[in-house]
Amino acid sequence: MKYVLLLTRGAWQEEGSEQERGEVFGRIGEWFAKHFADGTITEAQQLREPDTATTVVLEDGRSTLIDRPLLEAKEAIGGYAVIDVPDLDAALRLAAGFPMPDGKVEVRPLVER
Amino acid sequence: MSSAEPGGAAARSLLERVFREEAGRLTASLVRLLGDFDLAEEMVAEAVVEALARWPSAGPPERPGAWLLTCARNKAVDRIRRESRYRDKLQQVAALPESVDREPDDRLRLIFTCCHPALDADAQVALTLRAVAGLTTAEIARAFLLPEATLAKRLTRAKQKITKAGIPYRAPEPDELTDRLQAVLRVIYLVFNEGYFTTGGEAGVRRELVDDAEWLAGLLVHALPTQPEPLGLLALIRLHSARWAARLDNRGRLVPLAEQDRSRWDTRRIRSAVALIERAAALRRPGPYQIEAAIAAVHCEAPSWHATDWPQLLTLYDMLAALDPSPVVRLSRAVAVSHIDGPATALRQVDALADSLGHYHLYHAARASLLRDLGRTDDARQADQQALKLTANPAERALLTARLQDVPARRHPS
Repeated sequence: MKYVLLLTRGAWQEEGSEQERGEVFGRIGEWFAKHFADGTITEAQQLREPDTATTVVLEDGRSTLIDRPLLEAKEAIGGYAVIDVPDLDAALRLAAGFPMPDGKVEVRPLVER
Repeated sequence: MSSAEPGGAAARSLLERVFREEAGRLTASLVRLLGDFDLAEEMVAEAVVEALARWPSAGPPERPGAWLLTCARNKAVDRIRRESRYRDKLQQVAALPESVDREPDDRLRLIFTCCHPALDADAQVALTLRAVAGLTTAEIARAFLLPEATLAKRLTRAKQKITKAGIPYRAPEPDELTDRLQAVLRVIYLVFNEGYFTTGGEAGVRRELVDDAEWLAGLLVHALPTQPEPLGLLALIRLHSARWAARLDNRGRLVPLAEQDRSRWDTRRIRSAVALIERAAALRRPGPYQIEAAIAAVHCEAPSWHATDWPQLLTLYDMLAALDPSPVVRLSRAVAVSHIDGPATALRQVDALADSLGHYHLYHAARASLLRDLGRTDDARQADQQALKLTANPAERALLTARLQDVPARRHPS
């Protein structure tokens, strides 16, 4: 089954020192490389900082712009990965092993056509 | 003992057990074979209606499982022909074997799927009662005092999540068994707890929940014979239900353990529970349910409240607190302390829990009891009033109200 892992930025990205952040990103890079290599991850992207986001609100056929992301900075999505694994248990195990010191990973199944 | 037709009632309850056992097995097997909770449940539900009409007069057939399967299959084929959403299942149903294999793992798989940690606790409880214990949505709603529509929605959402999110239909691997087993034990304990202790409702409905919890725990013991905690939970449920007849007076008021008529306890159940605890202890992996069962056993084996083995209880509470250092455990421990070091020492320990347990009615009830032992009647009344404000359970309310009115909770026949 295919799932998307939505990765929040976590407090470490806002508060940690430059060096700590560098180390964590190093581990995250290795994690992605490993799971791309074993075929678990089919696609992944890192997003730019939340303060680069623009939200487009559609209403009554018109659109207005808001100069911020959908979610508060602490919960803001920092990246995503599309994975292909046998079942939810495998997806949850993968998410639990994501090497960041704090944060959240939403595991959401994809509609497969 | 007082039933007008003990034989009839016993026969009916035997029938219900056979029936539930078989229906439960069948549901579990069909979920495995068809991979579809809803279809499996509907098939079994239709067969169950048929069986309920026939079995009571004719008695259960020689092979109840095969009877139910044949009946379920015939009903399902009819239904599938009428309903397009199941059309693709027709071949699968037609290809079902003559009798479903007695795979002991099926029900274990089912219970672990229903108690999957990706479902929230309420959903786990509802789904386990529905799919494993075979209660109807209406029965579960009644037991938990919830609108049937709420329960139905909860069940639908949980079943859809299992299918759409890909929750696997399997028992956990050995390395994850301990964690996953905790979730299953907690669900069974919640079912028991709801039946035995909490919010109210009809006595009959609540007693059935206790029986359901016992049955589920028994199923787990049978399927995982080398795991000690299911044995502990089963023993715990049996020890509490052994006291069922003595815990309410004839006006439906809760009778405190100290005042219960111990001759009304079911000694056979107590003996069987103690044997379960010994079996668990031989496995040499103590856990909270085993210790709680041992605590209940100390009470059940004491000839009177005053002759209770308090030092033994204190040791057990210390063991429990080491595994589960929660304020509720320390509160119970303080009751044992009061019998060894006196109520003043116990009260100091209880008072220290005010911050964490101030909202808990049993905290105030325990304080009231200690204050009364110390002769501080006014303070005791205040504490009882606090407890009364915090509980909705009618039997507990009746006991506390009686205490406040200074009427003995239980009248002895002269």
